[in-house]
Amino acid sequence: MVNYGGDEVSALVLDIGSSSLRAGYAGDDTPKVISPTSYGYIKALDDGDFSMADINDTEVAPKPKLAKSFIGQSGPSVWRSGMEVANPIKGGLINDFGPIHALVEHAIVNVMGCNPSEHPVLVTEPSWNTVENRERMAEIMFEEFQVPAFYISNTGVLNTFAAGKGSALVIDVGQDMASVTPVVDGFVLRKGLVYSSLPSLIHSGAHRILTQPTHTRRGIDLFPHQLIANKSPVEPNSPPKFTLREDRLTGTTNSWRQWYEAREVDEWLQTVGGVLESGWNDQAAASRPPKQYEFPTGYNTWFGAERYYVGEQFFYHSPQMSASNHSLPKTIPALISESLRSYDIELRQVLMGNVVLTGGGSLFSGFNDRLAAELGRTFPHAKIHAPGNPTERRYGGWLGGSILASLGTFHQLWISKEEWQEHGKGIVTQRCK
Amino acid sequence: MTATAADVRSILSIQAHFVPSAAAKKQSTSQAKKPEGISRELYSLIGPSAPSLAAQLQKPQLKQKPRLGSSAVRWEWRKFRNGARGDSLELGHWVKATADPDTEYPFSKYNVQTAHFIYSQDEYSKHLEVDPEWTKDETDYLFNLVREYDQRWHIISDRYDYPGGPHRVMEDLKERFCNVCRRLVRDRPWAGDEASRVQLISTFMFDKERELIRKRYLANLDNRTPREAEEEEALYLEVKRIEQNERKFKRDREELLRTLAGIDSGLPDIVEDELPTILFDSKKKKKGGLDADSPSTPVSAAPPKQRPQPSPRNPVYDALHCITHIDLPVTTPATKAAHQPSFLRTYKLPVPKAAVVPKISQTLAEINISYNRLVMPTEGNVARLNALIDATLPLVETKRVLDKVEYDIKVLKERLNVRSSAPVEEEAGGVVDAADGEAIEGTEEGRAQSVVSTRSTRSRKQRRSVSVSSVDTTGAGTSRPPPKRQRRN
Repeated sequence: MVNYGGDEVSALVLDIGSSSLRAGYAGDDTPKVISPTSYGYIKALDDGDFSMADINDTEVAPKPKLAKSFIGQSGPSVWRSGMEVANPIKGGLINDFGPIHALVEHAIVNVMGCNPSEHPVLVTEPSWNTVENRERMAEIMFEEFQVPAFYISNTGVLNTFAAGKGSALVIDVGQDMASVTPVVDGFVLRKGLVYSSLPSLIHSGAHRILTQPTHTRRGIDLFPHQLIANKSPVEPNSPPKFTLREDRLTGTTNSWRQWYEAREVDEWLQTVGGVLESGWNDQAAASRPPKQYEFPTGYNTWFGAERYYVGEQFFYHSPQMSASNHSLPKTIPALISESLRSYDIELRQVLMGNVVLTGGGSLFSGFNDRLAAELGRTFPHAKIHAPGNPTERRYGGWLGGSILASLGTFHQLWISKEEWQEHGKGIVTQRCK
Repeated sequence: MTATAADVRSILSIQAHFVPSAAAKKQSTSQAKKPEGISRELYSLIGPSAPSLAAQLQKPQLKQKPRLGSSAVRWEWRKFRNGARGDSLELGHWVKATADPDTEYPFSKYNVQTAHFIYSQDEYSKHLEVDPEWTKDETDYLFNLVREYDQRWHIISDRYDYPGGPHRVMEDLKERFCNVCRRLVRDRPWAGDEASRVQLISTFMFDKERELIRKRYLANLDNRTPREAEEEEALYLEVKRIEQNERKFKRDREELLRTLAGIDSGLPDIVEDELPTILFDSKKKKKGGLDADSPSTPVSAAPPKQRPQPSPRNPVYDALHCITHIDLPVTTPATKAAHQPSFLRTYKLPVPKAAVVPKISQTLAEINISYNRLVMPTEGNVARLNALIDATLPLVETKRVLDKVEYDIKVLKERLNVRSSAPVEEEAGGVVDAADGEAIEGTEEGRAQSVVSTRSTRSRKQRRSVSVSSVDTTGAGTSRPPPKRQRRN
């Protein structure tokens, strides 16, 4: 046990991302709980009968008394009359601390069955987290969950640890944000940290491609399957035959509808989306075999060059596109070069030899090869570490936290409850550098 | 199919009562015993463990029976305190029940703090207030950061944000830190011996300028476009090729000279390096790979090569030992090309024009001097020989004119004799005579002069013949073609 430097104190690791919340025991290789960060809620003016909510274990009474919220795997994804869907994360940061307690409690108490007051908790944060946010997080943990010890560490560093490195250039592509974080000796170089909401742009681009009619097909309806009463198979590219559940349409809220459409788009992206390995080329894109995809309405068609056009936005914005929109999120190569410019020349060699690619967004087909091609053009010695295991890629931050919190030498860094009470909020910044 | 008794036995896992073959037994016993201190797994990898037939011939063993007698090792959840912590946090972990609960937490020993310098206000004002760019507050701030991040300078310069202070790069911070520490070590009373103190001071040496230059080199190296890098690579190979050709040429020439004249060429030696491997390997090497000899290898920060300081001159000593100094122009860089190689002065002997060579050698032979051979070619002698040849040239020229004129006179006299026998054309001949007389007079005068000059030269030569005494030694010397010298600069 001592040989590997590990000493497990049954700490919990909590990693809250834009799309999902991960929780589990330190020392495990996968999180025990992966639940959506989005949650459903009903503005409960008439707090009456919710038969579905009764069946659902995940129903939790949140702090605002007027609302009833639905959290977890069968939270927002289940259709409920009048249920809105919201996400507390904005731009990678926790924007609304209201539902955080409920989300954490759901994961730790309801799913894992743990008593948080018995376990030290390590929480992750994005590298650009604000001081107020991390102090608020510490406050929630100490005051509301009564944890004995707490630590907050940022995902850049944790991803570096998950890759078994001390220094790395972490390229993290999540659901909302893409970031480039230089990490040296386990510390983030804050001047070299850059991020943009590139994945959101990809997403909205894909949404536009699907819903806007083209000369070969009309706009695609993105009705979720919960709203479809029946459908019959149709030939590819012919109009779908389906009937909607009229009974549900009236009770469907706009936010739920949007959330589900976003899910459909994501699914489409993950299934057919791709990046050309060596730069955009109309011929190369056209020569790739098209892929068939069927939507919940039964409409199905073949997608050819479009599916590569979507992914291309990760690496290249056409000049007219950047001219029309000046606040366009930066592409991955732009982020990398901006980051590289901001720190010592000596570190370039080190960091480019230790590029860590992580985040669910990086699982985009062809992303890794394209990144290698882009980097190889300017840095022939660049080396990319990208775990092939999708779980490891998506939950790299959590995995790093799991490693860190199970190390024997780490246990001196925990902020204990005693210290929290003695020093107050200031200790968080002081301890978690 | 028939099953043998052995098959049945092995199926039923019954221990066979046949005797293993003697060879198998021998082998199994001869197996070396595992030496102490090596783990079993490691030994099985490195030890004499070639999977032999013996392992397969060994009698089948029954599954080991569980050892029910001894009880399982008990583990228990125990609270512990970490000695590295300053508070009373108690965490729990699983330990063997037999472990001693009073032992110190095994990981607390890794909590080592590096020693760091603290200075008092007094010390600061006394020793450290030398740099006007730094205030005490900012120095304090720097030292706190250094302590906080354990001298990880990249992090320190990243986090360095002194309110109201000027922008400082990493080298500024490092320099200030090292300066302060050096001063503190130097000015404080020192308990140990002087050597350790000097050693400690030397660890705080920091050359900011050099570091900045190094960074600039690095940046330049990094900012090359791939095209530039390619070009550089190509140029490098080209230079290598040229050098190789030159070496080949030099070798050939050397060989030629040695066989023909039995001497060395005096060409500078080009440092032989493993050229062929570079030329041929770099092509095979992966594109973009860093090879040790290619110019894309980051160069370590070596200061530019200093020109060796010329040794102080001593005219008396130089004269005594015939030492002359050749001054390179100051503007030429100290490179191979600008280097004037050592040479035999014999090769720097003046060479007269090919047309007059036989005449000159003939003239000089009269005074026993060979124009291309000096017994002792010191610089002075060479200069004199030079002057001699310069003087001989007009002499030879004059002699040529003299001979021509003498011949003319002879011809004219012949004609005169013929004319006197035929006085009819006297008048016309008189005109010619007058002109001839003038010419004769002029040549007589020129001859007298030339004789004098020849004489004076000769007498000068003879006086000097002890030192210059040029001897026309061998036939080989004269048959040798005049040495062709290659200009190197």
